[in-house]
Amino acid sequence: MRPLSSQSIARPPRPGLAVLAAIALSVSGAASLSAAAEGDREYGAFLSGECVTCHQITGGYDGIPPIVGWPPETFVHAMEDYRDGARPNEVMRNIAARYSDEELAALAAYFGSIEPGSGAR
Amino acid sequence: MAKFTRRSVLAGGAAIAGASLMPFAAMRPALAQARPRLVVIGGGPGGATLAKYVARDSGGAIDVTLVEPKESFTTCFHSNLYLGGVREWESINHRYDALASRYGINHARAGARAIDRNARTVTLDDGAKLDYDHLVVAPGIDLVYESVEGYTPEIAEKLPHAWLAGPQTQLLKAQLDALEDGSLIVMIAPPNPYRCPPGPYERASMMAHVLKNKGHARSRIIILDPKDSFSKQALFAEGWERSYPGMVEWQDPLMHGGIGAVDAATLTVETDLADYKAQLINVIPAQVAGAIARDAGLSNETGYCPIVADTMRSAMDENVTVLGDATIAGDMPKSAFSANSQAKVAANAVRAALTDARAFPARYTNTCWSLIDNDDAVKVGGRYEPKDDRITAVDTFVSQTGEDAQTRRRTQEENMGWYAGITADIFS
Repeated sequence: MRPLSSQSIARPPRPGLAVLAAIALSVSGAASLSAAAEGDREYGAFLSGECVTCHQITGGYDGIPPIVGWPPETFVHAMEDYRDGARPNEVMRNIAARYSDEELAALAAYFGSIEPGSGAR
Repeated sequence: MAKFTRRSVLAGGAAIAGASLMPFAAMRPALAQARPRLVVIGGGPGGATLAKYVARDSGGAIDVTLVEPKESFTTCFHSNLYLGGVREWESINHRYDALASRYGINHARAGARAIDRNARTVTLDDGAKLDYDHLVVAPGIDLVYESVEGYTPEIAEKLPHAWLAGPQTQLLKAQLDALEDGSLIVMIAPPNPYRCPPGPYERASMMAHVLKNKGHARSRIIILDPKDSFSKQALFAEGWERSYPGMVEWQDPLMHGGIGAVDAATLTVETDLADYKAQLINVIPAQVAGAIARDAGLSNETGYCPIVADTMRSAMDENVTVLGDATIAGDMPKSAFSANSQAKVAANAVRAALTDARAFPARYTNTCWSLIDNDDAVKVGGRYEPKDDRITAVDTFVSQTGEDAQTRRRTQEENMGWYAGITADIFS
């Protein structure tokens, strides 16, 4: 399990993501390890194929935000916001709509385990 | 429904790899005596992605050979942006080096001449033969030149198609850049199904972009279309009116009455209702699966290859997988995004068949961005799942007409981000 600290939060490249980081801090501050942190990483690695067509596994940014190295709760919250329609991007709403809680947890476990810049799996 | 199994694959495997060459053999004792051989024909978004994912995720347990004559790949996707002067040529070219150096893929620098599905061999241009336990065929499309009267591969050197990215793309750009004000460009659009449904209309947009930037207010572009409608039609029509009023004219069969012959000597295109004397003619003919797939009996009467929806395995042969533009992929369009998505599903299925890897349920994705003008893009996309053995759309979306400038600018940022992402995913 990765320690949940501000160090592990991806640096927000755009102001919109600062909100995310704030959510992450509050969640990690509560030190609550939900089921999201215990997802099936191997299943997440398979599901991640859908994500890394756009989001670079290295954490690189060329117009689409990086999603590696996030605390699992942060990742799940963001995806739930797309699934619920609270976040506007149609591509992400469309992606998130079909994911179950288990699948979001799996993705969160996988991407959360990737160190930005490592490109490792 | 037949399925390919590990046992059937291993039965044909060669006992080549000794334990000393097999760092993962201890983890997979069953494989210590034979490394299953995967041969992948075609290094585009389908084939190269699959080769990388199988080689990387199997940790060396599968011997992967990529059959691809070129040392680098020119992406058809974003080649319209090169045409429009939005991208440099180098930026749409990607070398295969990392696939070999990082993932241990054998890059056979040759074309595939023939597949023997009974003997499970692929014969290369140079006569060499490769044995396979499983074969992936991802040849993309071939152009049906004769679908347009008077059009041939030789004529294409004067009237470029530029639908297979490479020298043809550069030829079309050179012709476009050399035009003077008052020129007429005629594009002949292809019939369904074809590679990149919004591609011809993004191309017309990028041509108009170049003409507008040069101040060629008297130049025009006519698109002669054999179809009654096309992808993102309302969005393109709105964008053309906004950015290039009076410059782009689209004609459906009711308007042109039927597309006749092209004549390279006089730069003329005939239709039932009028003949057009042009300064540039871009012919995008009808398309079928690449010849290697058709010659191997993997296609049906449509000219494309039927597949099993949950694995991308060929419906004709359980030891063969077909990917990308060459396939009949249900509701999925022929796009690099689709091929890349299919490759990941297929990579999982191939690993599960050849090794002890877990098999996960198939799910597919596609998004197509199209650039209309600077900072002005639209998108369409969907999620797809196997239903009744057909890849079926389960959720779709498309940009709305009337979107504000900020939304369209953000969509273009996303478009550029996607290109960086997918090319990294395929080639690095």
